[in-house]
Amino acid sequence: MKRYSLTIRILGAVLLGALFFGFSLAQSEPVRLTFWSWRIEDKWAYDQIIAGYEATHPGVDIEFMPFESSTYATVLSTAFAAGQGPDIAHVRAYGAFEAFAAPGFLLPLDDKVSELANFSELALNGERLRADGRVYAVPFASQTLVIYYNTAIFNQLGLTPPETWDQFLATCQALKANGSIPLANGAATAFMNEVLMGVFAPNFYGADFFNQVVAGETTFEDPRFTGALARLLELRPYLAPDFLGVDYTTAQSLFVNELAAMFAGGSWEIANFRRQNPDLTFDIFPGPVLEAGQPHLASSFLDGGYAVNAATPHQAEAVEFVRFLASPEFGQQLTDLLANISPIAGVVPTDPLLQEVAEFNRNATPYVFLVGFRYENPTGSTLVQQALPEMLAGNITPEEVGRRVTEGIATYYQPFQNR
Amino acid sequence: MRPVAVPIGRWTWATLVQLLLLANTVLVLYPLVIMGLSAFKSTREIFRNPFGLPARFQLDNFLRVWEGTNFPLYLRNSLVVTTGSVLVILTLGTMAAYALARYEFRGNELLYLFFLSGLMLPLRLAVIPLFIELKALQLINSHLGLVCIYGAGGLPSAVFILTGFFRSLPRDLDNAARIDGASEAQILFRVILPLVRPALVIVGIYNLVPVWNDFFFPLVFIQDDRLKTLPQGMTVFMGQYSTEWAVLFVGLTLAALPVIALYVVLSRQFIAGLTAGALK
Amino acid sequence: MVRHLPVLAPPAAGGFRLSRRGNRALWLAMLLVPPALFFTVFVAYPIASALVYSFYGWVGVRRTTFVGLANFQRLLGQQPFQGWTINAFWHNVIVFVILLIIQDGLALLLAILLARNPRGTRFYQAVFFLPVTLSLVIVGFQWKLFLNPIFGIVNKLLRVAGLGALAQPWLGQAETALLALILVNAWRWLGFPTMVFLAGIRAIPEEYFEAARLDGANEWQVVRHVTWPLLAPAVTIIVILTFIGSFNWFELPYVMAGVDGPPNRSTDVLGLYFYRTAFGEISAGLQEFGLGSALAVLMFSVILTVSIVWTRILRRREVELA
Repeated sequence: MKRYSLTIRILGAVLLGALFFGFSLAQSEPVRLTFWSWRIEDKWAYDQIIAGYEATHPGVDIEFMPFESSTYATVLSTAFAAGQGPDIAHVRAYGAFEAFAAPGFLLPLDDKVSELANFSELALNGERLRADGRVYAVPFASQTLVIYYNTAIFNQLGLTPPETWDQFLATCQALKANGSIPLANGAATAFMNEVLMGVFAPNFYGADFFNQVVAGETTFEDPRFTGALARLLELRPYLAPDFLGVDYTTAQSLFVNELAAMFAGGSWEIANFRRQNPDLTFDIFPGPVLEAGQPHLASSFLDGGYAVNAATPHQAEAVEFVRFLASPEFGQQLTDLLANISPIAGVVPTDPLLQEVAEFNRNATPYVFLVGFRYENPTGSTLVQQALPEMLAGNITPEEVGRRVTEGIATYYQPFQNR
Repeated sequence: MRPVAVPIGRWTWATLVQLLLLANTVLVLYPLVIMGLSAFKSTREIFRNPFGLPARFQLDNFLRVWEGTNFPLYLRNSLVVTTGSVLVILTLGTMAAYALARYEFRGNELLYLFFLSGLMLPLRLAVIPLFIELKALQLINSHLGLVCIYGAGGLPSAVFILTGFFRSLPRDLDNAARIDGASEAQILFRVILPLVRPALVIVGIYNLVPVWNDFFFPLVFIQDDRLKTLPQGMTVFMGQYSTEWAVLFVGLTLAALPVIALYVVLSRQFIAGLTAGALK
Repeated sequence: MVRHLPVLAPPAAGGFRLSRRGNRALWLAMLLVPPALFFTVFVAYPIASALVYSFYGWVGVRRTTFVGLANFQRLLGQQPFQGWTINAFWHNVIVFVILLIIQDGLALLLAILLARNPRGTRFYQAVFFLPVTLSLVIVGFQWKLFLNPIFGIVNKLLRVAGLGALAQPWLGQAETALLALILVNAWRWLGFPTMVFLAGIRAIPEEYFEAARLDGANEWQVVRHVTWPLLAPAVTIIVILTFIGSFNWFELPYVMAGVDGPPNRSTDVLGLYFYRTAFGEISAGLQEFGLGSALAVLMFSVILTVSIVWTRILRRREVELA
């Protein structure tokens, strides 16, 4: 038994050595790696990047297979549960990532991928299993919540991106007076309510709140949080007409078709907006602050990472590939091709909008419910997404939202239970 | 015997009936026409002018769908899987329903309920055990695997509907044939089956539509691009155009067209079967 | 043709029957074993295995230890799950009742009208059934666009008709969202019960109608005393299918409203609740197979019990009416 595994190790070393010297033993029969993802719209870019990788790594043949995004988790978990997972898997971050890492389906990477040193702790924490503190995936993109605005409409009315909350409301008023929909957002798609909160609320509840609430020193009944929610109510006259019935795609369409002047959303929309209406001119600004001169706080989070199947028969090749996915070279390509914000140190976006996003990221706060409270059901996100539309409809108060969220989380989170 | 006013009463009655039927026809067709027109519009037009005629009948959307997917291949795969599944459902469903409806034996009701129980939960629920099972049977990445799932999944509704129809046929039918010396198989094929043809068509369509349109099971069980079904292949395409509704419309319409075409072709027979009635 | 067969004597007794008994068993086995086996392997066994999951704890997507009824306790006894379960269950009941009245009621009316062979019967039949052949994804997508508060045709038509006051975000408010979904479902499915009823009515021998009319029955009395009782088997099929369909309702609300049953769970039904619990919702929740399976067990118990009781009642009614 021992001798057998020794043989394998020697063989592995020889193989690695062969790879190192650039001549593959398996040249005649390439190692086929499957790489699953939910990023259907990015397939062309991955194909291009992978072709480049294969050119310098003869003997590996990587197939990028994207799946419909809402079914992806099911497809992946079913395959893993039956021992048929892909060699490399695109996984989400935080709680959704733990669902795969905790049962041991993924290979710990912190001792195998030295390139992880290229990432900030914040990024790595998205792919770190809380139980053992190890990293199981190479972070791939961070997202930041911003406000998009139509520069043509703004210029026409002589408006500039507002700095403070009061200016923001005045801008909305001016747009509305001119017949534009100020803010395209609606409340019909659950997660967009959380996004709306994530864009505006951090500047009201402050930079310290996240760490305190995650540590259990305070709850979501904290007046800082409920006070921030109360300000969202002031947005109601400026959201899309009949905003309770306006869903995500309608909101996007309102902005893209220039019927609405602003859109509160994530940095992932950039490529999408450009593709849908190439004539659209838009820019971004961060959520407004209460007092002029305060630093703007933007919610940000890690979108996901690249993981290696713990049971892959081609571990060496798969690890080699994810090391590439952790390199600044890849990060640069990802940014340039897909307008993603790469969390890899040293990657500088060439796109001016992305540069702005990177600027906002310097003063970012974690997107509170996703980063802190999406590990157990009912997740903070589920609770807040259900309560916010009710608050916007005027049925419940911000305090009631805070109470419902806190009570729901308290069912599994000890520190909330005694409050 | 009838009141004198009958002719007039009958005439107004007929008008009323026609009005009702026409109203429902409009209710059915109007959305379909809008949908057809939308396929020729740009996304902006869909928003700004949803019920007018398209500014010009542009075929860009169609070209994008045709070029953006492996349409002919996916279409062929879907045809194979759907045809196979519906055949399995009809064959096995008829066998079971006939035995359950026309013969008395111990455990009849229990067996009937056993089949019926399959109607009560979505088969999606069993995706993990199914995956493990198909893997053991080496049916992952195979059309046969899908046919097995859909075929078995459609059995409960087939058994349920067909049993109902078989039961409604008079007992005397088979007894008479039996006296005439027909074998059990002959009774089924020569006497009973021709009488339930409309029911078979109903069961066929009832199962064909969801099988044709399903993308959940292919997504889980088919990974080889050459084996992908049409709705599965379309999901990839849809993902790229999630907010370009015009293109989305065309994709959805194109994917649905084969079933609609099949229905139009078969509807004559379907309607004729229903018009003739089961016992005439 | 068959009707002209002579009235039959009961089957011959004695040796004749005995010699057929072995054949009959073999014949029955031939008919029943393949479907039963096929069904067991690809439906019954996998579903049973999945239901067993409800008694286990899970780490992420891997099953761990037996936990007894813990998952059921959460679903039925712990907030917010308890509230969601009850809420979704009532919505299923509402869906069933309204569909039974509107969809099946209208279908019955249409079938009775069509059975009288008015002008254009064949055309109407072909048209009415057409939506059934459309995928729910298309239907849902199309109607979602129709009901859109800003771009939607429904509100625009209302405004054109001078009823602008009635225009509203149909899918966006708790009061109308579920009803809107139910009506769309009725639009999609109406043709199905219509055709089943029509096939049923046409299977009734013409003599029965003629006899009733000769007795001086008016149209209503013919429907009430001839069509309705003799349609009993078709009614059984439709009522049960509507019931099961209502309690398994998933695709249409999934496409039109979304997996979280918005707004504020007002369109939530057991099917959606099961789906997002077992398979997760990417933008908010986590998948929990144990909890999802427990929910499936509950759904299964309710549907099975009601279906059995109902099938019995409806069957008895068929026999009484026949």
